[in-house]
Amino acid sequence: MTAAPAEAQEIQLTGPLAGAPAVRKLRLHREGRFEVAPGASFTLLDEYRRTIMPGLRLTYHLTDWIGIGAWGGYGFQYNAGLTDELQRVAIDSRNCADRPFTKACQLTRVNLTRGQLTEDQLAQIQWVAAPQVTVVPFRGKLALFAELFVDTDVNFFAGVAAIGVKERKQCTTDCVNTFGLESRMAFAPTFGLGLNFYPSDFIGFGAEWRALPFEWNTSGFDNHGAGTDEAFPDNKVDDKDREFHFTSMVTVSLSVQFPTAIKTTE
Amino acid sequence: MNQARVGLLVAAALVAVPLTASAQPNEQPKEINLDEPETPAEGTEPAEGPAVPAEGDEEAGLGDICKIDPTACPTIDLDKEAAKELRPETYAVQQIYALRYHRFEVNPYFGLTMNDQFVGHNGPGLAVNWYLTNVLAIGVNGNWYAGLNTPSDFNFQTSRAARIGEPITEYQWNANANFTYVPAYGKFAGFSDFIFHYDFFVLGGVGAISTRPMAVVDPDNRTFDWKPKLAFHVGGGIRIFFNRWFAAMAEVSDYIFFDELENPSVDKDRLQDKSTWLADEKSFTNNVQAQVGFSVFLPFSWEYRLPK
Repeated sequence: MTAAPAEAQEIQLTGPLAGAPAVRKLRLHREGRFEVAPGASFTLLDEYRRTIMPGLRLTYHLTDWIGIGAWGGYGFQYNAGLTDELQRVAIDSRNCADRPFTKACQLTRVNLTRGQLTEDQLAQIQWVAAPQVTVVPFRGKLALFAELFVDTDVNFFAGVAAIGVKERKQCTTDCVNTFGLESRMAFAPTFGLGLNFYPSDFIGFGAEWRALPFEWNTSGFDNHGAGTDEAFPDNKVDDKDREFHFTSMVTVSLSVQFPTAIKTTE
Repeated sequence: MNQARVGLLVAAALVAVPLTASAQPNEQPKEINLDEPETPAEGTEPAEGPAVPAEGDEEAGLGDICKIDPTACPTIDLDKEAAKELRPETYAVQQIYALRYHRFEVNPYFGLTMNDQFVGHNGPGLAVNWYLTNVLAIGVNGNWYAGLNTPSDFNFQTSRAARIGEPITEYQWNANANFTYVPAYGKFAGFSDFIFHYDFFVLGGVGAISTRPMAVVDPDNRTFDWKPKLAFHVGGGIRIFFNRWFAAMAEVSDYIFFDELENPSVDKDRLQDKSTWLADEKSFTNNVQAQVGFSVFLPFSWEYRLPK
């Protein structure tokens, strides 16, 4: 109720919040800290083999918004429903080992093993190691049931991943008798985003989505190599049979920050 | 709400600083400088009401208000008011930025198939919710799939390579009645510069989905009719508010139902007999889809019940 002339806009410009930062007393969960985050990843949208990958993420945060580090894990597989159905219908029921003369067995002898699909031809991700850069553009807080409040942030990351893949052995001749898996290493870009929660000064947890787009032959089939655009089988199992998959996974992790003491802004 | 806030600021400015008086038409606006001594204009008498405080009085400003508009003159006893006991209760979140209470949410979105490798069931959808409380809503949603079902290359290649016919179905429409619950909300500072609000929601409901098999085993003889089935709906997602009535949203929803599949075997004596076309067992199906769209909350603005 002062007598000075004033306008609404002036109040905004010269009020007590003028020039103030968006957030005061911001807890710097990342700046100058080393983060160790064990977790588990679960692949999404798998065709034949699903992967659960225990892993570890190590990150040093140069500032509160950027960090450098690496993520990696080792994969364990289990079957998708389609794999069990293929095994039952196309292999076990046909019994091509004893009835190789049937039409179905003749037409599928390059593509289907007479043993176990998982051991002879279906590909799997064995391990992944990925150096990556992490950017944290969004910081905030979350109210859960209007009772619990935790610091949160959203991070984006990108890097290059080395992927250990097991695929069906390549063959250019006698592919009818060439089944079994062999290992190779593939390289792929990796990127994604995560949502992190910090219930204490040095312990957090979070979930992230990660993409690993690369070409691999998940089925072990001979699908490509002959005809227009190489869109028809050529009775060989080779690089041409690899297809682009936007391989993705969800990771849940627990994170510990060192040093455990936390800094805050003014 | 911005209008309300600006309105309050303007009102405060008008009350505190009566620079111009619009009740003086066709004259040069008279500036009132509250720091100057009171010199009543010639031929004017002080208005009725509380006496104008003397110069230098702490309540000079109040006195001027009384002078301009006696009806707006504050009558509070400041000493008495100051002696009152304070209730310094504060809330962690003083006022929720985007209040949902008693508002409609209109949410158009586009759904993308997440778990069907053989046929894509992508299509548009619409959800409408009414918030009974700030965290609980009832509503309906629907999806349209007809004409948009797309058998995948994977389906073709698997069938060709393994010589199997995988039973596939296409969807026509889906509709559900839902409850939505918002257990968590918060805000983010973007690049330490701007702030935006978000919330998480979960939902569950019941409805129907219309589907039919796509003839794969005996397409020469079999054609199937659309048939609605009971469906259940569970899901969850996030909304990011751009202002108090407009938000981007992303959701994962699972529409659960028992589907009818094509019979993988053919009765060669009864090829045209419809009763032989469907498999005996129904298939427990999860149609999981990612839904991306935006939400509009109506009405656009509201008044908070309690001050900030």
